[in-house]
Amino acid sequence: MEILVCLKQVPDDSVEIHLKPGTEEVNLDGVTPVVNAFDTYALEMATRLKEAVGGSITAITVGPEKARDAVKTCLAVGANQGYVISDPTFEDADTLGRSKILAAAIRKLEADAGKPFDLIFCGREATDRASGQLGPQLAEALGTGVIVDLVDIEQTDAGICAKQETEEGYRKVESALPCVVTVNKPAYDPRYPTIKSKMAARKMAIPVLSAADLDSVEPGKPTAHVVKVFEPAKRQAGVKINEETAAESAIKAVDMMAAAKLL
Amino acid sequence: MDWGNCKDILVFLEQKEGKVVNVSLEALTPARTLAGLTGGKVLALAVGTDNAAAAEKAAPLCDGVLSVEGAAFIDGCSDAMVCALEAMVNKYAPAAVLAGNTPLGRELTARLDARKGLGSVQDATALKIDNGTPVWTVPLYGGTVLNDVVLDTLPVVATVRSGAFSKPEAGEAAPVTAEAVEVPADAIKTKVVEAVKEISESVNLEEAKVIVTGGRGMGSQENFALVEELAQLLGGVVGATRPAIEEGWVSRAHQVGQSGKIVSPALYIACGVSGATQHVSGMTGSGYVVAINKDEDAPIFDVADVGIVGDVMKVLPAMIEEIRKRKAE
Repeated sequence: MEILVCLKQVPDDSVEIHLKPGTEEVNLDGVTPVVNAFDTYALEMATRLKEAVGGSITAITVGPEKARDAVKTCLAVGANQGYVISDPTFEDADTLGRSKILAAAIRKLEADAGKPFDLIFCGREATDRASGQLGPQLAEALGTGVIVDLVDIEQTDAGICAKQETEEGYRKVESALPCVVTVNKPAYDPRYPTIKSKMAARKMAIPVLSAADLDSVEPGKPTAHVVKVFEPAKRQAGVKINEETAAESAIKAVDMMAAAKLL
Repeated sequence: MDWGNCKDILVFLEQKEGKVVNVSLEALTPARTLAGLTGGKVLALAVGTDNAAAAEKAAPLCDGVLSVEGAAFIDGCSDAMVCALEAMVNKYAPAAVLAGNTPLGRELTARLDARKGLGSVQDATALKIDNGTPVWTVPLYGGTVLNDVVLDTLPVVATVRSGAFSKPEAGEAAPVTAEAVEVPADAIKTKVVEAVKEISESVNLEEAKVIVTGGRGMGSQENFALVEELAQLLGGVVGATRPAIEEGWVSRAHQVGQSGKIVSPALYIACGVSGATQHVSGMTGSGYVVAINKDEDAPIFDVADVGIVGDVMKVLPAMIEEIRKRKAE
């Protein structure tokens, strides 16, 4: 099976991001760029599928050339080859624009390889903007089906059967190939690279494709304009209770809840 | 903002087994604000196999219900639903299209945007009008940074966060109009073959007045029962953090936070919860926060009105006993 995994480099989501004091500028100083967590789940699911049915995984990202690091990380944990799609004219592309760029890149890679991708994986959302738009929009650009929020996938005679998480449980959804899927957190964690796989990834070339390499792609102008960047009003920390015994602390807290007429 | 000939506001009513989901009804409130600007109607769009219950629920809250019914529109068949949404957008030329920020709401609006070349906002937590232009507030980085955003394409497309807006007051029931939409066979690319219900309990965190949440610090499923006991005593609902759910102590229907429910009860009691951003961003709208944690520096104390530093397994039983005693008096 020919598999493509689309990924995005985002600021480390284990770090609390704030604004530089007194400005509208997001402070990303010292925050490590990482592969979006949901994209790592997508890659792990893709890798398990590849291990089960055979095939090859290509990882791609649209971003600055330094997004190569994100692709390299993926090469050490399951991806067989990787590309960065980078061009100055792509810099202010919004999600819809990026879906068009990715679609053009996919067509280019398919033409070069002489075979189509069967399955295209994306994370359900990126941890920075959490819009969840890219997968469905990429499917629209490619004219394929899309199944969102997967927690598992298997190959069938006719294509794939996906386990889609719902609020009450799950659905089994089938699709012919090609198909775009977006991945939620599965029951398993992404694997870690080994020293050997890291060394191998370091040696692999990660080509950069620019607008000139792609066939007539027009990401269009962003249609959403940010007019203000700010932080939510902070809650004030109240009182801390740390009495001799747990019982005394509990009674004091219950007194306060009662005084606030909450019981 | 120049609305051209676009006036009406279309709100997608998401249904589960024929029951309309709450956030769709909440979306009728920002829709009303927008209709005030454009001079149009608030139209609720129900798409399903049987829309009777959803239409009845929405009719008193809007100016008209559009009902698209058919065998193709089963739960989970987003391919058919996006056809219906697109057809209604083409027919009514709305000034805005709103939906709840659910997986389905996000997917349908994303696909509508792709088909019609539109911009959109997701997970809007507020709507202001500035000089006749709608300004949406959306969260970034798990909610530590907010952006105010304006869109320059029509219709304006937005998904709204659950709990961010309250449902409108009920008025007289608006008319329900049946709309026929043909779904071309080649538009259906995916097929739901099975729907499994693993979680049968109904957990209404969004409308709860009291929530008692347990985190990793509860330590075990046995201990987690204390969280349930306190919630029951206070007539509240049990909440949980992601680690507690991953441990299997409680079902994910109870999850509070970025990837769970956004809540705003009058009283929120966090037991053995450290206070990770992903969790805190889902509960900062609470009226009064009580936190119990043995780590004096736990970030949950930064957002707590009352922070009890201590062993949750000693504090919780004492708290339950004390509240029970006072209730008996």
